[in-house]
Amino acid sequence: MSGSDAPSAEGRAQGTEPLNRPRQVPPESPFRRALRQFFRHPLPVFGLVVVTAFVLAAVFAPLLAPFDPLQTSWTLVRKAPSAAHWFGTDENGRDVLARVIYGARASLMAGVVAVSLAAMIGVPLGLLAGLSGGWAETIIGRVADAMLAVPFLILAIALAAFLGPALENAMLAIAITASPVFVRLSRGMALEAKSTDWAEAARAMGNPPWRLALVHVLPNIIPPLMVQATLSIAEAIIAEASLSFLGLGQQPPNPSWGSMLNSAQRFLTQAPWMAIYPGVAIFLVVLAFNLVGDGLRDALDPRSQRR
Amino acid sequence: MNLLELRDLRKLFPVRDALGRHRGAVRAVDGVSLSVAQGEVLAIVGESGCGKSTLGRLALRMIEPDAGEVRFGGEDLRALSPAALRARRRDMQLIFQDPFASLDPRMTVEAAIAEPLRLHGVVPRGQESAKVAEWLERVGLRADHARRWPHEFSGGQRQRIAIARALASGPKLVIGDEPVSALDVSIQAQVVNLLQDLIRDLGLTFVLISHDLAVVRHIADRVAVMYLGRIVELGETEQVFSRPRHPYTRALLAAVPGQGAKAPPLAGDVPSPMAPPSGCRFHTRCGHAVAMCREVDPVLPSEAHAAACHLAAELPPAIAPHETETGGERLRRLQAFFTQGTAA
Repeated sequence: MSGSDAPSAEGRAQGTEPLNRPRQVPPESPFRRALRQFFRHPLPVFGLVVVTAFVLAAVFAPLLAPFDPLQTSWTLVRKAPSAAHWFGTDENGRDVLARVIYGARASLMAGVVAVSLAAMIGVPLGLLAGLSGGWAETIIGRVADAMLAVPFLILAIALAAFLGPALENAMLAIAITASPVFVRLSRGMALEAKSTDWAEAARAMGNPPWRLALVHVLPNIIPPLMVQATLSIAEAIIAEASLSFLGLGQQPPNPSWGSMLNSAQRFLTQAPWMAIYPGVAIFLVVLAFNLVGDGLRDALDPRSQRR
Repeated sequence: MNLLELRDLRKLFPVRDALGRHRGAVRAVDGVSLSVAQGEVLAIVGESGCGKSTLGRLALRMIEPDAGEVRFGGEDLRALSPAALRARRRDMQLIFQDPFASLDPRMTVEAAIAEPLRLHGVVPRGQESAKVAEWLERVGLRADHARRWPHEFSGGQRQRIAIARALASGPKLVIGDEPVSALDVSIQAQVVNLLQDLIRDLGLTFVLISHDLAVVRHIADRVAVMYLGRIVELGETEQVFSRPRHPYTRALLAAVPGQGAKAPPLAGDVPSPMAPPSGCRFHTRCGHAVAMCREVDPVLPSEAHAAACHLAAELPPAIAPHETETGGERLRRLQAFFTQGTAA
């Protein structure tokens, strides 16, 4: 029997081989399969819609905001929500809706930039630690564990205070604080990947270490990293709000949800709208990122995959 | 000429307890010397845990030996720099047991087979696709399977892809670590035949690591029988199968199911490779053992058909129960089944 007619025999022997299905089924990449999984569940899709809405609001803030967020007015101090000012006005007569919309810029920026930075710091270190072993693994692993032993916010506050009050510094502080999670995650997964047959096959083929890391291991650990990144963005948004609340993030008069909450706390009984709207914004965007993260996890986890 | 030469290879795996204290070492490979001639198919057989997979990895320097020499095409592999070793990997490849684990799940079939072509510059850049298509057809798949992902294939098809990937760089030596054991019995015969065709057509030197004596007898020219990290018998396949000299080989052959006359089956378990028995490692389970076996470690003589046994010369000729060719029979039945299936 020659090799060329074997697949047909093999297909017959197994009865329901994938290749025996009609040919029009297109090849589906693992990524597309995960995408299809993701859109099957309503909550993650809701989360994605909310995230998208906030992103659009941040991008198109100048078009959407009814007023200049920095425009003060002595005649409009702490006015309750009305037809003109839907979310009311703050202690300087600025429109709360405009400030919430512009505040999304600081929050989302901080979340995305800080987490991207954290991943850019953490993932290469984690890959290096997991794949190289030896002293690099010991040092990187110990430092990451030590940083993880300090509470997230405390470390971020300490770093931000050290770097000086500015949104950029707050982002950097959050990035550094969030990076050990990425180190640990990618190190663990790289260790796991290193012992697989496909990684050994890649080595046996003559792949240099950097190619093994970038071409084979990295694509295989991207899904859990994406989940972690999404969840980390939610954390980073809270951290940015907290730092701004403490005056370590976005500097006045520029709007940030955290600093809005800070100025609102003095007027909680007289002007609760000053606190409610930025609070709701933080709540919604964090919830949405968490929903998306959970949805991604379910979609990317091979154990939960049902066709 | 010998393509691969192993001299007194040793590999210990240290064993540590939960607190990281040294608790001894598993002697996975404990002094193995072996030559594989150009164009030869050599099988390494033995029970699981006897060190045959470790030996295969050592021969390719996928793991570093603790002692001994690995010569590939006359060149000492242990003396090569990492970069030189990677370049040398073009000529030596590995086929894995489990085709569900050995293909990168995030690479299309095309990317997987094109990778060795690119790494070693086998074909000019941009011409990999044609070569991939050629290989796919050569291993019995279709050229348009190239765009698909591993998860879309069955075990047998995946193993064909893995074989194409291993052969794409044009290796001289291929080591197959149980290349068909993870497959459905109904698929095994096809993949064995495919391997046999490729070995013949490409003039490959092939080291088959297997516990499946039927497959070994079908394709191997020579057989090395391993027990607890050592080679206990080495010889031409037909010689070893029809006139096994080592009591362990006899017991192994007798364990092939479905035959009439039986040599006494093996008693007891394989001793711990952390503390191998003194003298002949097989004496704890050997029906012929005498006092000397407990004390003196037998060596493998350098004969064409050699057995590391003090009593090899004195033992009665093997009853050769397997002379009924049980194993070959099974393969033939499988092949008949598939020839029929294809014709129908």
